[in-house]
Formats: sequence, C-alpha cells, structure tokens
Amino acid sequence: MTVDITKYSKFLEHVANEIDIPPGKYQDAVDRYKAVGRWLEEGEYPECPGDVSIYPQGSFRLGTVVRPIRNGIEASYDIDLVCEMPLRKPETTPKVLKAMVGDRLSENQTYRKMLDSEGKRCWTLEYAEQDGVGFHVDVLPAILDGGGLLSAALAITNKDGSAYSWSASDPRGYGAWFDGKNRAATARVILEQRQEIERRAPAIFASVDKVPDQLVRTPLQRAIQLMKRHRDLGFNHHARIEFAPISIIITTLAAHLYANETDVYSALSGIVGKLRAHASLVEGKPIDRSLAGMGLVQRRSDGTWYIGNPVNPDENFADRWHEDDHARARAFFGWVDVLQKDLVNILAETNPRLLNEHLGRALGASAISKHFNILIPPTPVVETPPRIHIARPAKPWRRV
Amino acid sequence: MNENLRRQIAELTAVHKGLTNIVEGDAETILSGKVPFEASADGLETISDSFELELIIPHDFPEKLPQVKETGGRIGADYDHRNSDGTLCLAVPVEQRRVFFEQPTLLGFVNRLVVPYLYGYYYWKTYGRHPFEEAPHGYKGILGHYIDTLGLRGDLDALAVICFLFEHGYRGHHQCPCGSGLRVRACHGPALRAFHEHHTPETLLSDFIAIFEICFQKYQKGELAFPQSLRLQIMRILNRLKG
Repeated sequence: MTVDITKYSKFLEHVANEIDIPPGKYQDAVDRYKAVGRWLEEGEYPECPGDVSIYPQGSFRLGTVVRPIRNGIEASYDIDLVCEMPLRKPETTPKVLKAMVGDRLSENQTYRKMLDSEGKRCWTLEYAEQDGVGFHVDVLPAILDGGGLLSAALAITNKDGSAYSWSASDPRGYGAWFDGKNRAATARVILEQRQEIERRAPAIFASVDKVPDQLVRTPLQRAIQLMKRHRDLGFNHHARIEFAPISIIITTLAAHLYANETDVYSALSGIVGKLRAHASLVEGKPIDRSLAGMGLVQRRSDGTWYIGNPVNPDENFADRWHEDDHARARAFFGWVDVLQKDLVNILAETNPRLLNEHLGRALGASAISKHFNILIPPTPVVETPPRIHIARPAKPWRRV
Repeated sequence: MNENLRRQIAELTAVHKGLTNIVEGDAETILSGKVPFEASADGLETISDSFELELIIPHDFPEKLPQVKETGGRIGADYDHRNSDGTLCLAVPVEQRRVFFEQPTLLGFVNRLVVPYLYGYYYWKTYGRHPFEEAPHGYKGILGHYIDTLGLRGDLDALAVICFLFEHGYRGHHQCPCGSGLRVRACHGPALRAFHEHHTPETLLSDFIAIFEICFQKYQKGELAFPQSLRLQIMRILNRLKG
C-alpha cells in the first residue's frame, strides 16, 4: 500500500492550516496592530506634518504565516508592521526616525512595559500569551523613498552599534508582486475558502463578506508554509540555525516556480523539484537551460550567488551564500533534498507507523496528529482479551 | 432488573465484550456470548482460550450468585465438575461466596470464579490433571471445606461449627466451636466471621443439612458419638426448622 495522492494533498492542506494562524488569533493580531497603529497615528511628531501610515508586511501580509518553533516548542507568532512616517530623507535622519517611533511607543503605559530593547531595524512589542498563543509585533520605522514597482519603496533605519544608517526595502512592492503570482489561484479558491473559514469561526466573522482575503490560502501559500515549518524543524539545532534558508528566499523562489498547480501536493512537489534542479550550481555546473533562463538562482563568475529581490534587483537575498565555503548554499540545497525525501517521496512509504513518524519529524508531531487519519484511517483495534491472573482460586465441586 | 444489576452488567460487558446477548426474564437475566481471555496462575503456564458461556443471573443477585453454562459443547459430562443440569460447578456454595466477596461484582464473579474454573478445565483437558485443588463431590465437599478452611480435627468439629453459625451467627465471646476451649475471638474468630458474613440463610441451611447428614449417617453406623451439648444444640435447631 502506498499513500494516495489526493488524500495526501488534503492531509498537507490540513497540516498547513494547523500551523497557520487560526482566524480568531488573526483577528486578535489585527486588533492589536490596529491599536498600535492608532497610537502611533495620534502622536505629536514635531516638524512632521501629514499622516502616519501603519500596515503589515512579511508573512502576515503575504498569508504565509507559520507558527514558529523555537527550541522544538511552538512559540509566539511574529507580526511585522511598517510604520511609515510622513517625512522625506532630507528632512530627517535614521536615528531621529527610529527614536520618533520608539519614543511614541514609550509614551504609552502599556506599550512601554511590552517594549523590548531596541532592535537593529525594529521596535518589538511582546504581547503576553492568551490561550497559550503569544505575539511579537515588530514595528519597522520607515519613510517613503520612492521608486520600485509601485513607487512605494521605503527607506528604513539600520542600527549598527551606536551608528545609524539608511537601507532600502519595498514591502508594498513585494506584496504586490507576490499577489500577482498568486492571483489566479486566489480567484479559484477564494469563495470556497471564505465559506469554509466562516463555517469554522462563525462568531468571529459575521458573514462571508467579512472574512478577510488575508485568510484565504492558495496551494502556493500552503506550500510555502509547509516548507517554512520543515525548515524550522530541520534547522532547529543551534549549530545549524545561522545557515537556515531565510523565509524571503523560500517565499520568493516558491512564488517564481509555482505553476498554478491546483492542489498543495502538486504545488509543493513542483516547486521542490525545480529547486533541486538548481543544485548542481553548488559544484559550479550548469543547470537546465529553461531554468537557467529564469535566472532565479545565479552563480556569478566570481563564485558569489545571486537571488534577486523581484521588486528591487539591486537587492541580493543570497549575498552571504558564498561565505564559509558556500555554507548557506549547501545548506539550502541539502535542505531541498531532504524536503523531497520527507514530503514528496514519502508517498512510497508503506508502513503506517513509519509514515506517521517521518511526517511527524518533518512537520511536527502535534501538527500532524489530528490529520493523520486522512492518510490512514484508523484500523479497528483488534480486541485483546482481558488478562486475568488467578490467585486463591476456588476448588471446583459437584452437587450429587 | 434493578439499576445496580444493570450497572454491573455494563461493567462486565465492557471487559468481556463478547457477552452481547441479553435476555431479561421475570426472575433472572440471561447473558450469553463468547468469553475470550488470557489467564495466568503462579507457577503455571499462561493460556489464551475462549468459551461460549451463558450466565443466568438471578435478580436478587448478589444475594444469590449466577449459574453458568458452557454452551459451545466443549465441557462434557466426562468432566467431574459439571452438574447434571449442565451448570458449571465452580465451588461449594460458601466458598463461591468467599471468593466472590473478594470482588463482589458480576465482573469479579466471572474473573475470579468462572475464568479460573475454565483455566482448570483447559489444564485438565490438556494434561489430564487438575492445576488447583478439587473439592470432593456432594456433601463431602462441603464438610471438607469447613475442615480444611478452619483446620478442624474432624467431622464432629465441623458439625459444631455449622451449628454455632446457624444458632449464633458470630459471637466473639462464646467458646470456640472447634473445641479448643478458647473464646471465639482468640481462636477461629476471623475465619468464623468470614463464614458468617459470606453465608446467606439459604447457604447456611444447606451447609448445615450437608454436614449433619454425613455426621448422622456415621452416628447411625456407630462411628460417631454426639456430646450432650451438641446433641441439645442440634435438637434446638431441628425444632426451629420444623417451626
């Protein structure tokens, strides 16, 4: 017996949903970031006329949220918010901008207690757990710098010791690019999934129309979530953690390689297969011509690597891949091989116990446990007869 | 069937899941089906077997204990411990009650009396001998049970014990009926108390009749002489029974 593809795809869909943010928690998170946003918007910022703009970026924006695993335990969700101040570069400095946002957060009694020490680019608010689920909200101070896909590229601050500098980022442009890759699939699944979400969480969303598109997931988003979870578990060890493939690389390459497959398994196996076809780059060997033509992962003549930001080709996500004898590149392609083995070739596994073990190791035992019966319906338990130990038995007799 | 019995049956069938047929009559409920088990005993092999059984459970259970029949045709008339009506003879009545009160539920009845019995049958059928002790048939088995359990010197002491139980129940400050000259509580106290607690009026009477019958036959043959006090006690009991 091997695993049925349709069932397996359904199983993957359910597991991805399991590691996703539940609709109720999504709503909590939105309420919280909106409250942070209102607080920041209502602030008095000297010499800063105009409106502050707060919006999510990263996996929360892209619909690829995965409940993080830290030290093998499910940890708090990370929510990244951009806090875009109505200033231009000449009107401020990175240090002033960063402090402007940090000071405003500190003015609030509640936020002051939740505020973590200053990060490299962000201010982090740590929300206490509710029902065992916590949030980190990273607030990224930024100003509009123009340019990019939507002329929405940002300048963000960078703290290095006590020195501050500008760097570039374009979360809105990236979000729009990702949406484009995901658009056809989204249109296909949107109504069905909205109804499903409303069925699961009717109290949270009064009607189908209120279910945010942000909670709809295409096979691309599901595949990314599964890959991220697999990465989180595979690079759990502290010695490997710094070489773990970063989410932006996984998300970017997956979105490029997604071919509008209609189910999670096909999307995942398609993406993983095409990623593996790039592996010979590590040995400096050529790859399949059609893939090479896409130029997603490039090896330059000086041996360095290039994975471009689709909305800002100047930004190279793989700028550190050549370091430590290409440790990150090797780790990436090694991981892709394991992905193939763990989540694609697993279909050939015939032993239900091993299947359960392997999938549990690959995606987290708690995430798969509820859904494993999709793959292997529980066999009726063979009744074991009661075990009885005889002590001080009666002597059999007979009436005459 | 009362609520207690209903619960007891539920507890039994949760463990012995094959007992699925229930027929409820006016005075008894008959529970039947397959009873598979794995049974072990100290120093003996562990066996796995399954028997088709019928439990006839009186509605005044546990005042009266169930009767058990093996309906799969395995335990035949060649087995010594089967009554002529086909019921399994698990033990002499008061010993059944002694064992039953170790776990006084239907489940306890099956696990402590029926399964050990079936283990014994399996062992006997396989090896030609019985793994545990056997009681002699009929009244002798009952008499023997008193002598063995209490460590008595002989038939007359057993008669004194059953008369004592019949007439007084348990009395710690009386002289022990075993003839030791000690008070009951300093002699056979705990054992007599257990007998007293396990007996019902019915089992007490049938044990009295069984032991008296054997002793009376011996008396008639001149093998046994009743002391004066015992003779008077027996007269009192017989008069009471007539009344």
